[in-house]
Amino acid sequence: MTATVPAPSPTEAPPEPAPDAVRASRWRQGRGGVLIAGLSVALVVVTVVSAGRGQLQIPPSEVVGSIMHRLDANLEWVLAQAGPTVDLPLDVGPRPQHVQGENTLWLVRFPRVVLALLVGAALAAAGALMQGVFGNPLAEPAIVGVSPGAAVGASLVFVTGSTFLGEWTVAVAAFATGLVTTLLVYALSRSGGRTEVVTLVLTGVAVTAVAFAIVAFATFVATPEAREQIVFWQLGSLNGARWQAILAVLPFVAVGLTLAFAMARSLDLLALGERSARHLGVRVERLRIVAIVAVAMLVGSGVAFAGVIGFVGLVVPHLIRMIAGPGHRLLLPASALGGALLLVSADLVARTAIEYADLPLGMLTALVGGPLFFWLLRRTRTSQGGWA
Amino acid sequence: MMRLAVSLRGAPRLPTPSPAAGSVVAAADGVSVVLGGARVLDDVSVEVRAGEVLALVGPNGAGKSTLLSALTGDVAVAAGSVTLHGEPLRAWSATESAMRRAVLLQQVRLSFPFTVAEVVEMGRAPWAGTAFEDSDDEAVRSALAEADVTQFAARRFTSLSGGEQARVALARVLAQRTGLLLLDEPTAALDLRHQELVLGVARTRAATGVAVVVVLHDLNLAAAHADRVAVLAGGRVVATGPPAEVLGGALLTDVYEHDVEVIAHPRTGAPVILPRR
Repeated sequence: MTATVPAPSPTEAPPEPAPDAVRASRWRQGRGGVLIAGLSVALVVVTVVSAGRGQLQIPPSEVVGSIMHRLDANLEWVLAQAGPTVDLPLDVGPRPQHVQGENTLWLVRFPRVVLALLVGAALAAAGALMQGVFGNPLAEPAIVGVSPGAAVGASLVFVTGSTFLGEWTVAVAAFATGLVTTLLVYALSRSGGRTEVVTLVLTGVAVTAVAFAIVAFATFVATPEAREQIVFWQLGSLNGARWQAILAVLPFVAVGLTLAFAMARSLDLLALGERSARHLGVRVERLRIVAIVAVAMLVGSGVAFAGVIGFVGLVVPHLIRMIAGPGHRLLLPASALGGALLLVSADLVARTAIEYADLPLGMLTALVGGPLFFWLLRRTRTSQGGWA
Repeated sequence: MMRLAVSLRGAPRLPTPSPAAGSVVAAADGVSVVLGGARVLDDVSVEVRAGEVLALVGPNGAGKSTLLSALTGDVAVAAGSVTLHGEPLRAWSATESAMRRAVLLQQVRLSFPFTVAEVVEMGRAPWAGTAFEDSDDEAVRSALAEADVTQFAARRFTSLSGGEQARVALARVLAQRTGLLLLDEPTAALDLRHQELVLGVARTRAATGVAVVVVLHDLNLAAAHADRVAVLAGGRVVATGPPAEVLGGALLTDVYEHDVEVIAHPRTGAPVILPRR
């Protein structure tokens, strides 16, 4: 082979500019920004509206006004502790006119709305995380046994009437058994330092069956009153949300989401399959462990206070993927926002659809999520030929 | 979190500029692999050299893919050792390995409908956070062009045909820009033009000092494009050397258990391998 470089022939036309793929994917990222912004705005609007609705109606302007006045007072107090007394201009907007307005908002509505927001974000992000880790769009946190495990702890507390941790007993027991069940499923499905996805899913099925047997037994031996508690806990509800619950859930959700976002790029690579991901520098087994711990934290803390709320983790990531593609750097935060939006909306319906009744939240999400999921399934099957 | 863990152990060692042509990039030394009680590889030794295309050929079940898996560290070796740049595989972190070798598997899969451009961009993952990250866009563009898939860039990977998907997977591997390419049957799903194109790309890369290992079933492709051929049979290497020396009728007849004749091409004189019918 000679090393002479052929001179460019003058007759040859310059090559056609190829469709710029790299720029196209940048454009998709731009669309992602719009999606995140849209979801954020919708979330703020629904949150404000939802906080105002209920037996005592408070207009959105008064909700915002109440928040601003509190914010102003608290910031001024913080600054005063630091030294100067400043009059911040944040105390704008009308305050609630009704005498019970402030109390209703700050003692009942806001805790409930914020808990809905946190639990929704946690469930949806956990779903996206599970689907990414298992490379299967049908994976759901329930398959590794978080919710069934949590149900065991909760029902045993109801049956024994134990109150060794006061009002926290149910939440702590549910979180603990949820976490233990998840780790048990994972440990049982590991063999020779590796985890096969199918083995993991089937182990989840087996452990879930045992968990439901324990719940069934608890239901059987329970007093009528405890039985009612078990049943209602499993239906899922944000009734009785307190600020303390939010303080307990917040750190778990924050850490879980941070772990999830940190894994985003590796999850993209995992779509190529375990071996190819490893060839690109992903430590697959460690990624799985971190992901499962993150899922247990996200779902476990949510389930502990809100009971079993299904389909959020399945439907929300699926919808986001249809709009913005499967890249996890966008999918995870967008799912968290979408899940929060969905659950705040669903809880609004649960509280206000029937007067003086608080519908089970898990029933609502399943009622909407089930058919929607079936439709998505059919749609994907037609366009992609199914998932084997 | 992932990045943090890496930085705690120190930044990954970046590859040194391309090693001298002919120096050993990767090697298997006396490697045996046992899978499910069967000895799939038995005392196999191969050297992969910079600037050279090494073809692995042999009948089904000869151990070609297993040898490739042993070179990547995907399967544990029962005996012998595998080295990358003179160090045992486990001396390299996952990222450090990924900076040095890219692997194209026989089975191409994708769990979610990423676009072709996104899939090829995944090949740049090992370089995230290094100075090489700046050449990401350029690497992706040229890899798309090399594998002749630029026109599919904006399409979803899952909407492509098998052969097109195989070329996209190759583009992803090329975008990784490593000094060692391990390609398991890259031509299996391809038409005649793209078979030539893919092996032409392998040759071009080798000319820039890259070491290329390619598993092939088509002996004529191996004869035409490889610098050296290793013939495997029953988990052993039965011959290694330039194609003209190794691909002889007697050896191939023996290895494939089918009468094979080798004739010289009337124009080029290159060996043409045909089953006797």
